[in-house]
Formats: sequence, C-alpha cells, structure tokens
Amino acid sequence: MSETPTPPEKAPAATEKAAPPEPKVIPPGPIGQQLQAAGLAITPLGNDATGHEMIDVPPEQLPAVAQKLKTELKFDLLVCVTALDLGASRASMVHLMQTVAQVPEAKPLTVVLKTAATPAGQDADGYDVSKVPSLMPVYPAADWHEREAFDLMGIIYEGHPNLRRILMPDAWMGYPLRKNYKEEDPRLVWNRR
Amino acid sequence: MDTTTLDRPSMDLNLSESPALPEGVTYERDLDTDDMVVNIGPQHPSTHGVLRLITTLNGEVVKDMEPVIGYLHRSKEKMAEARSYFQYQPTIDRVEYLSSFYDHYAYVGCVEAIANMKVPKRVQYIRMITMELNRITSHLLWFGTFLLDLGASSPFFYAFRDREDVFKLFEDVTGARMMYNYYRFGGVNADLPEGWIGRVLKFTDTFAKRVDEYEAIVTKNPIVLDRTVGHGIMTYQDCLDYGVTGPNMRAAGVAQDLRKTNPYCSYDEIEFDVPTQTSADVYARYLVRIAEFRESLRIIRQACKQMPGGDTSELNRIKAALAEKNAQAKAEAAKTEGAKFVEEKLNPEFEIWGQKVNLLTFKLQAGEAYTQVESPRGILGCYMQADGTPKPQRVKWRGASFSNLSILPKAMIGNLYPDLMAIFGSLDVIMPEVDR
Repeated sequence: MSETPTPPEKAPAATEKAAPPEPKVIPPGPIGQQLQAAGLAITPLGNDATGHEMIDVPPEQLPAVAQKLKTELKFDLLVCVTALDLGASRASMVHLMQTVAQVPEAKPLTVVLKTAATPAGQDADGYDVSKVPSLMPVYPAADWHEREAFDLMGIIYEGHPNLRRILMPDAWMGYPLRKNYKEEDPRLVWNRR
Repeated sequence: MDTTTLDRPSMDLNLSESPALPEGVTYERDLDTDDMVVNIGPQHPSTHGVLRLITTLNGEVVKDMEPVIGYLHRSKEKMAEARSYFQYQPTIDRVEYLSSFYDHYAYVGCVEAIANMKVPKRVQYIRMITMELNRITSHLLWFGTFLLDLGASSPFFYAFRDREDVFKLFEDVTGARMMYNYYRFGGVNADLPEGWIGRVLKFTDTFAKRVDEYEAIVTKNPIVLDRTVGHGIMTYQDCLDYGVTGPNMRAAGVAQDLRKTNPYCSYDEIEFDVPTQTSADVYARYLVRIAEFRESLRIIRQACKQMPGGDTSELNRIKAALAEKNAQAKAEAAKTEGAKFVEEKLNPEFEIWGQKVNLLTFKLQAGEAYTQVESPRGILGCYMQADGTPKPQRVKWRGASFSNLSILPKAMIGNLYPDLMAIFGSLDVIMPEVDR
C-alpha cells in the first residue's frame, strides 16, 4: 500500500474531472440588467464567442420576456429559432435582433434566449416530446421556424396555431436531428416493411 | 423614383363598369363561382427549384395559398454532426448554391470566433471582393430569371453572358465556377493570381456600362411597369412579421443592412450607400437590386485600391525582397555567431479521446457562436456549438430564403393568379436554402 502513492493521487484527479464545474456567477449584461430590473426571473449566461448576450429564460417567463424585449428594448426582428439536443433533455433557443428603424443611432444588437424544454410525454409513435411556450403571439415570424424545430427535434410549441411538420413528410416518424436518432429504429417507416 | 409620373399608356381595362346593354336585356352579374384548388409544382419551370404551392382560386383571384417545402431537404445540419470541421466545409456550398461565398463566410466566421483567431487584413479584403462579386452574379441570375418569368427572354441571355465573366474570375481564384470552398479558418485557400485585381477592375468598368444597358431596356418598359408597379406590396411591418430581410425589406423603406449597421470584414473602411425604396412593391424590389449592382461595384473598386499588399505581382516582389533580406541576415548571423538554423518539423501526433492518433486533426474548444452576414437575399446566419471534439456539436443555418418564402401567401392572397410569378420572382427565393 505504501509503495503505491499514485492511486490516491489519481483518484482526486478523476473525481475532479467527473464533478460538474463550479457554477460561476455570471454578471448580467446590459439587456439582462434591464430584464432583471423589470422583475423577470432570468439567468444571465454571459456572451457567446461572437459577443451576443445569452440569457436563460424559464419556460413560464418566456412570453413575458419576449414581450418586454419587443416593446421596450426594441428587439423587433426574430431571426431564428434553434432546437438544441442536450442529451437527456432539449432546449429551444431564439435569436432576436434590433433593426435600424428602431435604433437609428446605435449599433443594432442581437440577444439569445435559451429555454429548457419541459417533458410532455410521448407522441403517437412513442417518441418522447417536450414543450416550450410558442413565441407566435409576440413574434409572428416564429411560425415556420418553430414548425422546423418541432419537425426536426420534437419540441412542441404550446400556443402555435399550426404546428405541423414542415421539412419532413407528414407521415414521418421520429425527430431526425436528435442525437439518438437511429436508422435501425423499428418504428421508422422503411424498417417496418 | 416616382413611377406615377412616368409617361406611359394606360392599360387599365376598367372592369368595374359593365358595358351598356341593349334595352330589355338583363345581365346577371353575380354568378355563382366555386373555389378551385390548383396544385402548382413541385416541378414547375418558374419555381427555381422544387416548390409546391397548394392554391385555392376563385376565378383568377388567389383566395388561399399554402407552400409545401422540404423536397430538397438534405439534412445539412445533421451532416455537420457526423463530419469534422474540414470535412463539412465543402458541403456547405450547397446550402445556397448561387452565393456560396456567404455560406462559407458565416461558417468560417463561427469557427474563427470560437477559436479566437485573428484574420489578416488582406484576407478580409479578398473575402470582401469575392463576396461582392458573388452578390453581382446572384443578382444577375435573379435579374435574368425574374424577367424570364415576366415573359422577357432576352435579358436572361445578357445576364448569363455577364455572369460568365465573373465566373471566369472566380475560376482563376478558387478553381471552381460555382462551388468555391475557398475560405479557410483564419484565411483563404490561396492568394489571388497575378494580374487578377486588374481584371476585376476592368470588369467593373464594363459591367457598369452594362447595368445602364439593362436599365435602358427594362426600367421604364411599359409592360414591366404594368406588371410590377403596385403589385405584391409588403410593408415594413409585414417584413418584420414574417422575418423578411435583405433587398425585400429595403424596398419597404428601411435601410437594414448588416454591412452598414454591424460591419464585418472591413466594410467599415469602405464608403457605400444602402439603396432603399419606399413603395414596397415588386418594382421597388427590382430597383433596389439594380442599385445594389452599382453599390457592389463601388465597394469592389475601393477594396481593390485599399487592399494591403495590392496586386499579387507587387506582393510577390515585396516577398522576394524580404526573403532575400532575411537570407542575408541569416548568413550574417551564421558567420558571426556560428548559429545553427534547424527547420521546425510538424509533429502529426495528436491525442483524440485519450488515444494518440497519427492524423492532423483540428479540434475546436468548447463554445458557441452565431455569425450573420448580409447575403444577396438577406440575413444568412450560422449558429455553431462546439464541445472540444473534432466535430461540431450542433450547426444551425438561418437561411434568408426560408423566411422570405413564408411571406408568399400573405403577398398573394387577393391578387390575381397571373401575378404569382411576378411576386414570387421578386422575392428572390432559392429553394436549396429554404430546405437546407
């Protein structure tokens, strides 16, 4: 036991790797500060590599945050909705932008809102789905983008009036952009023949 | 330009007033008409790709329209997750095949942002010149096919003649006419060939005259005016409600242009205007794109003049002089200090997932980035999430055409069916970018 000093040294290194990184307290950016001042429960995530401010928004707060951003902070253009696969769960991300008509003097900003999707059971084909509130009432431009995210990642946007598949055929089973999407899945159309 | 004052014959047929009927003859005006569902596409010569429109018509008036897309879906985003950063790059030419320099810029920009790479000034200028030339070829194809849809066939041949001139320039730089794969992380594949800048400047002179020729044929043509003025009006608020950007939004009176508002590359060092129109109809979108030809030429001329290093032949002279100077300095040092100069050898052994692999692998540190670029069709965005492995965790494409197409039902409902191709053509939609 005494001639092997290496295992005790290795063990803490391994546990350090396995342990999740310490939650760093990220100070809110200028947009996050204004949202927090309005009493909205958001979590700042810092800036991404291109300098856009990222904000984590709880699902129930998403419509209120979007409304605030649109009416008071002048983010009038929804650029895109992205669905993210986080392994066990999924998230929906939206990029909002200011246009030059709203901020003629300043440089238009882009803000990124991330929302964790909550589990919503299974769909008719037995695939897990999750749900996020739709941004359609605030930004009508979310229509096709949310349909695409639903089609490829299986996120149900609650409140979307016409949530159907858009890129894949209507009879398609499963959500192809998921990491665990397999061609051998017996539920897929061509494997049932 | 105020189109209402143009001197042109009126072609209004005044359909609202019924002709005078002889006495005793009654005229039943309210005939019962049934709605008819017409399926347009997916194979239709004017859809520029594969697009299906389920259209409900009442007589010739469009009552409802539903675009069906996805026929060209090639799962570009899924492909990224199965390939390394370099392997994925040649495939993104096909996201938007008419202006693929923009795709590459957005993708390469994401990688550079995450890796925190600095791009040399000369590379930025090379990228700017190639992107603006690409805008010209893209608008030229739109110009030709849009007028072909309206029934004018000769502009198509003129546009393709000029497009070929630019393709020859591209071929000399990248080796390919349309699928360039020229940008690299932190740079470009190769420097410009000798004398290329001179040929570009020559092209800008000839093309400026040709834009005048196009305008002489088309801009005040009474048939074009009657088919475009006042049709397919999309206001600024409509553009916001559907995410429409680019020339379509600028035709609604808002100078929203990322090159001006959020300058990337070196656009902040270039003087140019953002052309806008206020009438927001098909004709306004035509005028904006014609004005963008001229602005692109302005940008290219300035960029060629301001590019660090200038033309390649000049740069090669400077390089040769520097190399000679360095060699002399080395020889001097060797003489005096007896130093030994050993060439550094690249070690190709890298560690991937704990294993030593004898491969040159490019790994990107964890991080995320979103680069957007003002493509000829509007905002083209690329979102990338890297997790420290040689493959991206997630790549998302925001195609301008995807949003631009979504406004088509709004612009068409209430209009006549024969106006479909004028309005759809004016949106400048490219189907591979819609379906990705």
